[in-house]
Amino acid sequence: MTADLLLQAVVSGLLLGGVYGLVASGLSLVFGVLRIINFAHGAVMMLAMYTTYWLFTLAGIDPYLSIVVTGPLFFLIGMAIQRVVIEPNRFAAEHNQLLLTLGLALFLENLALVLWQGDFRSVRPSYAGASFVVGEALVEVPRLIACGGAIVMALALFAFLRLTDVGKAIRALSEEPEGAMLMGIDVGRIRAVAFGIGAGCVAVAGALVTPFFYVAPDVGESFNIIAFVVVVLGGMGNFVGALLGGFIVGLAESLGATLLPGSLKQLVVFGLFVLVLLFRPAGLFGGGRDR
Amino acid sequence: MNRRAFLKSAGAVAALGAVPSIVRAQAKEVKVGYILPVTGPLAFEAQLSLNGLQLAVDEINSAGGIKALGGAKLTLLPGDTQNKVELGNSEAARLIDQGISVLIGPFSSLVAYSVRQVAEKNKTPFMLLAAVADNLTEGGLRYVFRVQPNGKAMSTLTMNNMLEMGKAASTPIKRVAMMHEDGNFGTTMGNHVEAFAGKLGYALVQRIPYSLKSPDFTAELSKIKASKPDLLVISGYYGDSKIIAETAAKLRIGVHALVGLANAAYSNPKFIADNRDLTDQLFDGNYWHNPQSPRAKAVFAAYEKRFNSTLTSHGVQAYTVIGVLKDALERAGSTDRDKLRDALSKTNLADHILPQDAIKFDDTGENINATPALLQVQNGRPVVVGPARFAEAKPVFPVPKWHG
Amino acid sequence: MTGEVWAGLALGLLLVAPPFLPPYFLEILISVMLFGYLGAAWNILGGYAGQFSFGHAAYFGIGAYTSTLLFLRLGVSPWLGMLAGGVLAAAFGLAAGYLSFRYGLRGPYFSLVTLAFAEMLRVIAVNTKAVGSSLGLVIPNREPAPVNFVFAGKLSYYYVILAMAVGAVWITRRVARSKLGYSLLAIRENEDAAEASGVDALGMKLRAMAISSFLTALGGTFYAQYFAYIDPTITFGPSVSIQGLLQAIVGGAGTVLGPVVGAFVLTPMSELSRAAIRGRAGVDVMLYGIVLILVISFLPRGILGSLRRRP
Repeated sequence: MTADLLLQAVVSGLLLGGVYGLVASGLSLVFGVLRIINFAHGAVMMLAMYTTYWLFTLAGIDPYLSIVVTGPLFFLIGMAIQRVVIEPNRFAAEHNQLLLTLGLALFLENLALVLWQGDFRSVRPSYAGASFVVGEALVEVPRLIACGGAIVMALALFAFLRLTDVGKAIRALSEEPEGAMLMGIDVGRIRAVAFGIGAGCVAVAGALVTPFFYVAPDVGESFNIIAFVVVVLGGMGNFVGALLGGFIVGLAESLGATLLPGSLKQLVVFGLFVLVLLFRPAGLFGGGRDR
Repeated sequence: MNRRAFLKSAGAVAALGAVPSIVRAQAKEVKVGYILPVTGPLAFEAQLSLNGLQLAVDEINSAGGIKALGGAKLTLLPGDTQNKVELGNSEAARLIDQGISVLIGPFSSLVAYSVRQVAEKNKTPFMLLAAVADNLTEGGLRYVFRVQPNGKAMSTLTMNNMLEMGKAASTPIKRVAMMHEDGNFGTTMGNHVEAFAGKLGYALVQRIPYSLKSPDFTAELSKIKASKPDLLVISGYYGDSKIIAETAAKLRIGVHALVGLANAAYSNPKFIADNRDLTDQLFDGNYWHNPQSPRAKAVFAAYEKRFNSTLTSHGVQAYTVIGVLKDALERAGSTDRDKLRDALSKTNLADHILPQDAIKFDDTGENINATPALLQVQNGRPVVVGPARFAEAKPVFPVPKWHG
Repeated sequence: MTGEVWAGLALGLLLVAPPFLPPYFLEILISVMLFGYLGAAWNILGGYAGQFSFGHAAYFGIGAYTSTLLFLRLGVSPWLGMLAGGVLAAAFGLAAGYLSFRYGLRGPYFSLVTLAFAEMLRVIAVNTKAVGSSLGLVIPNREPAPVNFVFAGKLSYYYVILAMAVGAVWITRRVARSKLGYSLLAIRENEDAAEASGVDALGMKLRAMAISSFLTALGGTFYAQYFAYIDPTITFGPSVSIQGLLQAIVGGAGTVLGPVVGAFVLTPMSELSRAAIRGRAGVDVMLYGIVLILVISFLPRGILGSLRRRP
């Protein structure tokens, strides 16, 4: 294995890892506060990608600029979903809540299929073909922008959680639920906001990847499972951990693709997943809820 | 659940079953059942096939139906497999129950493996649509027929076409790299390209199966670039093929050409329209029509008029299958499944729009003259550049933009 | 009439009616029985022990591949292969279970790790030429030979899966009324408290896992013999895992007949919705999702769980 191949693997892995991190941050937040694994996370991302597609195709709005619309829109949609579907069942058994999100995922994916059929769609803005080389490693501009955007978004989320009242309430609820309730935090509202933020994050991620990926009803599945892996790696509820975990998973996947034959790179990701679950379920960086 | 409720529901369910029998007694028609993944991930492609079926059926019906059956009309009876085996089976059984004379489908080889058993057990002719796995016609089955080229024909003839092209352009192809999706379709193609390397005269220097869902193939393509191939072959679906072509171009992968093998994207007009600069001069060995055929032109026009979009190879295949069916019905003079089966096995049909000689089936039900076309995207359109007698343009080879 | 009498009548109907059913309905019934069986197998670990596995496809796949490979490569009768597959799956289940339980994985963490195991097996199968990779394994069209688990007509397969389903229900009942069952109940309600009062939680959960994985694997062999074709996605894919647990959840996890009832509700519902709204891709699965949400929201203990009075 030449140094060139390894360098390329590192570069592409990190670029994609940034996006994984953003997708996972939203999921991590939702898990931290609501204690549910949101199976519909990928489906929301898919819907955001369709929205990005329509905004570009019908209104000529650049995918990256459209985040200004998509982010807040899906924040609201996320809050609505939480209020209508999840909140009424908040005392249900954990596994039932899981199935709730599964039902939601089935519903949303097939809603897309009904509305827009199964055709693949793609968005190709003018800069989609741009790329440059770092040493011998290729850097594709859309992926670089996506990674950068993801990092910015994640840092913004981090700042929000640290500095704003709502953010602090979210963290309180995530780390110490009973104490938070005793302190008079409007739990219902915070839960909805948290879910909304989760949806908003994954929507932004969706808009960021649309220029170099494709749009179809099942496109969220690629990111769904990876998001779970990243969240556990980073520590459930540890948002910066999710971003770092994203880079790690992106790297692992890319190195796996370079070093292993066939399509075994997926094994590396899952293997990492199992190892972390068994030996450090609080996440590599700790701070996540244990077991 | 009480007994009354259970029996009531059982009764309702049984009543549903009774309805088809009533229908059977009345109509003067030929019931043609189809099973396709109408819902689910392949819904788009399934719809394209369905359009082709409907175009052909309506054409035949408005021209007077099946003359040997006194003008009986073809009626399409729908079945949705959702691309799942159990549903493929149950839908097939349901349609057979409703008295179909023939079953068409099911698109996915996966589903086809077990539906063909259902068809065989019920002695119903089963005309394969899109399913590419070679062993579907193996095992001594008498009721399975495949009009389109199977995986082996697709790969060997396409590779041969490319090799010939290389020789003609004095840029011989000696080293071949292949990327394919790791499912049934891609693996079938990959296995053939690997198996026939020696016989056809090239070395397979790199073969990489990939997972369809992956958003990034840079690492895989770097490996390929490092193996210095003359040709990169890609068997993939729409989204993944796009990413691969995109990344390969940016990596300046250094091949003479990029060629799809039954690729879902590279000769797809929509893909080409959405990605003009990316798709220029991509090759694809795929199912296609004969561009020299005047009848083909008429069919394209009719499709465009009715469905407001361009006929694709899925539609062409489906259209052709109905054509073969009609021909067999005329010769059989009956809707009886066994008579139809025998008539199908004796098919010798030259009036079709495929790029091949007459359609004839061998003992296993394969179309012995099935030929894939070699296409290249030129000026935003996929044009046939091989085999020579069907070609509508000269190939551009080697392709300058792929060179490192 | 008690539930037992109704169940008995239903069973009677299931024994007697099928020879008179048209092929389409028999096909549906076989699907119902198979899903009900898988649900029952899952239920032992999921419903009774409260350990929600999202990766039961791992055992299904192990069963399917073991019996099929033994049959194709060594000519071993799938009946024996079925048992071998069950044992292998139980071993895998015990190993996976031991790792997971020993390291204290519970709730969603346990679910995720089981999902990961199943996916890993799938990826390995896809990349292993010896088991056919993605081309899978085809059981060639052979003459009917009951000793080789190949029957001439659907009806025979139906009775096999019916027997398996009845067997699974019977095993569930035995477990529920045994010391294992009571231990599992205690663990399900509060594992730490159960441990504190002397229940060997790890041992009990492993027992449940062994039974559950063994039974699931047998279902895999049935599938292989019935459909005569298996591949990594069919056998190790998430679809099988989800189907199994759905029957149990909707019908009533932790009840003896729940999974079977669930299967009888879900499968025909799916069929009817597709028949009612043809030509509109995806509407039926959309409805499926809605129904799932509604069931979870309003009948969280499943159908039978809600009908039964709280113990």
